[in-house]
Amino acid sequence: MNKDRRNFIKQTGWSILGGGLLISVFPLLPGSAHASKNKNHIFAFIVDIEKCIGCGKCVNACIKENSVPNDFYRTWVERYHILENGEVIVDSPDGGSDGFKPQEFKHKVEKAFFVPKLCNHCKKPNCVQVCPVVATYVSKEGVVLVDDKHCVGCSYCVQACPYGARFINPETRTADKCTWCYHRIKKGYKPACVLVCPTGARQFGRIDDPESPVHKTVKEKMLQILKPETGNEPMTMYLGLDKEVR
Amino acid sequence: MRHYNHVIRFAIILTAVLIGFFAVRGFIVPESFGVYGTYMYGYHRGNSDSEEAAQPILYYGSDKCRKCHEKLYEQESQAGHSKIACESCHANWQAHNNNTRNKVLKNGSIEACMQCHKKLSARPAAFPQITDIKQHMDDQEQEFEKGMECLDCHDPHEPL
Ligand code: HEC
Ligand code: HEC
Ligand code: HEC
Ligand code: HEC
Repeated sequence: MNKDRRNFIKQTGWSILGGGLLISVFPLLPGSAHASKNKNHIFAFIVDIEKCIGCGKCVNACIKENSVPNDFYRTWVERYHILENGEVIVDSPDGGSDGFKPQEFKHKVEKAFFVPKLCNHCKKPNCVQVCPVVATYVSKEGVVLVDDKHCVGCSYCVQACPYGARFINPETRTADKCTWCYHRIKKGYKPACVLVCPTGARQFGRIDDPESPVHKTVKEKMLQILKPETGNEPMTMYLGLDKEVR
Repeated sequence: MRHYNHVIRFAIILTAVLIGFFAVRGFIVPESFGVYGTYMYGYHRGNSDSEEAAQPILYYGSDKCRKCHEKLYEQESQAGHSKIACESCHANWQAHNNNTRNKVLKNGSIEACMQCHKKLSARPAAFPQITDIKQHMDDQEQEFEKGMECLDCHDPHEPL
């Protein structure tokens, strides 16, 4: 009896020691370091809701620049009406690509605004984690991309994205989404939607570059993100976001 | 010797399986896979980001238009539409560059202006908006006539 207990304690001790040692080695393995410690998230996209007039020029430019198929949108504009009785009405006809028509309601409109949406290019993207064939990834610059030669079109990522930013492209049968116009920003141009925005409601640039339009905003302004509870840590941030937006 | 038979058999099968595994893996895993990036989020086929970056650009920005439309560029940068890129109202640069005779989109209709200037409850109150052209005329205390257009009084490049 005595001996058994002694053995038991001894074995437990060794197991705990061994287990502890094993766990402490894990962070040293390449790549298992915490993603948010990575210094590669150098770009930020800022949407100023108080400036957006809902003209839809951004949606149009995006469709042309990226040959987005009909009825799908890499970026779109939503209109929110918050009525006196607390009702929230959201609409986005054709993704807002042709602008919006005036709307009438039975109740008085308390607040109304436009919310442009796009891929949030998260630091810890759910969509990347669920991909079974490693066809989607975070690039060196912190842009979430899809490898369309490798994607099998299983649409796990489409379901995993909490922002609904992804879709299956009916032409290529692969996952598709906003790339922050990766082909443009690599050559020093702004994303197409940012270029055509008439009011400057969309801003894009490097956070670490003092010349960039987002540098000051990120450092000085109060910014909000969509659905922080999902823990995706988006790099697309909003100024003047209402609590009803989701 | 008889005692080792099963071990040898097992070793042969294992080697065969291993060779098979690596052969199949060599086929399936694309070149340059996992060259860059960390395992958790960054693991990918190394060439795929440069392939993405090789896509052609269509929108080049107003600086490109300046070369040939200097006067309009100067005119626009003075007035209320100064922050708007030329390509916001016209077609993208690439279509125009391929052939300047190409009809560039130049829509001066009421709808084109109203896409930005129509009075909407969701638009920021500070943005200049008009309900419709008739109301706009009443505000100017002018007679509204049929067939009147925004461009009768406003230049799209220098609206006021
Ligand atoms: C290489 C010089 C050049 C550049 C750069 C250029 N254009 Fe032009 N553009 C022309 C010429 C030449 C014409 C006249 C074509 C004609 O009348 O047949 C023209 C005509 C136009 C017209 C009128 C078309 C019509 O149907 O009357 C518009 C609008 C226009 N350009 C917009 C732009 C915009 C926007 C840009 C920048 C994205 C731009 N252009 C850049 C040479 C240029
Ligand atoms: C607010 C929208 C808007 C913006 C921004 C704009 N244009 Fe125009 N542009 C128009 C419209 C509308 C017409 C057609 C005018 C007409 O039919 O008389 C036009 C006509 C033109 C023409 C044809 C020549 C003419 O005078 O009719 C040229 C060239 C042109 N634009 C170049 C430019 C350039 C260059 C820029 C950028 C500096 C620019 N536009 C920005 C709306 C715009
Ligand atoms: C792409 C959106 C867009 C389009 C299309 C557009 N505008 Fe504008 N317009 C603006 C913006 C942005 C301003 C600046 C508002 C501000 O100063 O806050 C403006 C300002 C104006 C002003 C006031 C200028 C001032 O100095 O206060 C007038 C007048 C005007 N636009 C007329 C027109 C007319 C006429 C057309 C049609 C040819 C037109 N706009 C098309 C976006 C647009
Ligand atoms: C009969 C001439 C005329 C026509 C047609 C006209 N406008 Fe105007 N518009 C004016 C004048 C004059 C002003 C300046 C009013 C002022 O300063 O108070 C003005 C001002 C504006 C403003 C600025 C309003 C503000 O609150 O600052 C906008 C926007 C505008 N017009 C858009 C349009 C649009 C869009 C159309 C076509 C549907 C149009 N206008 C047609 C004469 C006209």
